[in-house]
Amino acid sequence: MKHLKPMNNKAKLVDAAISKDDTDSERLNEVVAMQSVVGCTGTTDPGWEVDAFGGVAGLCQPMESDLYGCADPCWWPAQVPDIMNTYPDWGKEAGSAGSDWRKLGEVFPADKK
Amino acid sequence: MSSRCLAVLIDSPKKFAAHILSLIFIFSAFQVSAESTRDYMAVVNRPNLFHLIDLQDEKILRSCELPAEVSPGTVVMSADKSVAYILGGRFDRIYGVAISNCELVFDSQFSKANIRRKSFASLAVSRDGSEIYSVHNPVAIMNDHYQIQSPQFVVYRAQDGIGAEPIRSYPIPRQINIMATGLDGRVYLSGPDVYALDPQTGDLSVAIASRNADRQGYGQPDILTVWPVGSINDEFIRMYSIPKYAKNSESIEDASLLWGYEKVDLVTGDVSVKDFAPLEEVLFTGMLRPHHPDEFYGVLTKLKRHQVSTQSVIKSIDLERTYYCINFSSDGSKIYLGGTYNDIAIYDAETLNKLGNIVLPGGDMSMSTPQVFSLSSNLATERSIALSPNNNE
Repeated sequence: MKHLKPMNNKAKLVDAAISKDDTDSERLNEVVAMQSVVGCTGTTDPGWEVDAFGGVAGLCQPMESDLYGCADPCWWPAQVPDIMNTYPDWGKEAGSAGSDWRKLGEVFPADKK
Repeated sequence: MSSRCLAVLIDSPKKFAAHILSLIFIFSAFQVSAESTRDYMAVVNRPNLFHLIDLQDEKILRSCELPAEVSPGTVVMSADKSVAYILGGRFDRIYGVAISNCELVFDSQFSKANIRRKSFASLAVSRDGSEIYSVHNPVAIMNDHYQIQSPQFVVYRAQDGIGAEPIRSYPIPRQINIMATGLDGRVYLSGPDVYALDPQTGDLSVAIASRNADRQGYGQPDILTVWPVGSINDEFIRMYSIPKYAKNSESIEDASLLWGYEKVDLVTGDVSVKDFAPLEEVLFTGMLRPHHPDEFYGVLTKLKRHQVSTQSVIKSIDLERTYYCINFSSDGSKIYLGGTYNDIAIYDAETLNKLGNIVLPGGDMSMSTPQVFSLSSNLATERSIALSPNNNE
């Protein structure tokens, strides 16, 4: 955690908890970043807006080429529907994200029938 | 041929005839060998298609329909290359397709009842072709909550075919993705470290320490892979990015960011960890060039050729679009880029000049892993069973 800087209140609380004295029973274990992130894991990677260097040159181009690569493995479930589990038919009528993207709409949680 | 040799042959007509016959035989044998073994590619794309491509002619030999959709589309060939095993069904199913005639020879669904099981590109086949390996990440779906269960390494018997169930399973660490089988039978698994697992006993050891490595002067490596490339070199390979600290400093601000690779030679079991270039761009997959062990290529939106020994970029080009997955011809002369949309882009490995595209019928490949392999051409074109209605012949 020593290379991470807290950016919001929750992160500051985590930082504070970790920096407590080692003898404190409430001390949290150090968080180890997942090394191989895949599958609805809430990744904190930069998205389609900015690349790992703060620019745009490292982004997939065009973004449609990366669309199913992010939806299939539930990589960014907040940005694109989770095809793996929750919305398996989201891209059913759109085999090519590049040419069929207009057929890809929003999704909304539905009540269980 | 020197004049002395010619004189000897003319002096002895019988010898001359024998030599000519030998030469004809050798030439014929060479011709048969050259004609009969060629490179092929097995690849899947949306919605449920498997394709066999003749890479020499750059032509799709066969397209087969699978029972359901194909993501993640991880392809691994059987030991004799006659069957393409595909992790599909939304990370939940393994198919086996006979490449000669589209016959579905293996089909196993992971999830049963309220236990959902997913596998993140974890697929390998034993060296004798008799067993198929995967990883199940199970979760019990209850009425009001989920119960996360322990991941299992599972073993299927190939001959169990349609409806096969695991015959053995062993506990393994979490976060396992790609796998490959070594010549000694051990299965190498990509996770926080690279593990070696004996599929007969479940004995697990660390083959390459990665998260738990203690490289002096380095930070922790970061790894992204769901693409089991490397089979053309018979190696397990994955890339890492890593901070290398300046002298007497452990500050990330002063560190150089590097690309490197972790490799297991699947024939010898030898492992290596090497930095190969400065981290200039994001790359998704990379491979050593066949027959050029000092050259490492990587791809995403750029295609980059590196010299490992000098950690330098030999050449870098901008691609027309992003491709996730790199592969080589068996002689190392051509590069095949796949993944994302539905075309395979072909590049000259020496110059990085573009040579063409092979467009697949159907939709996106997404994160699927095309596999290149060499095979006798008559095995790939044999037709003993009627082709699927969707074949493009």
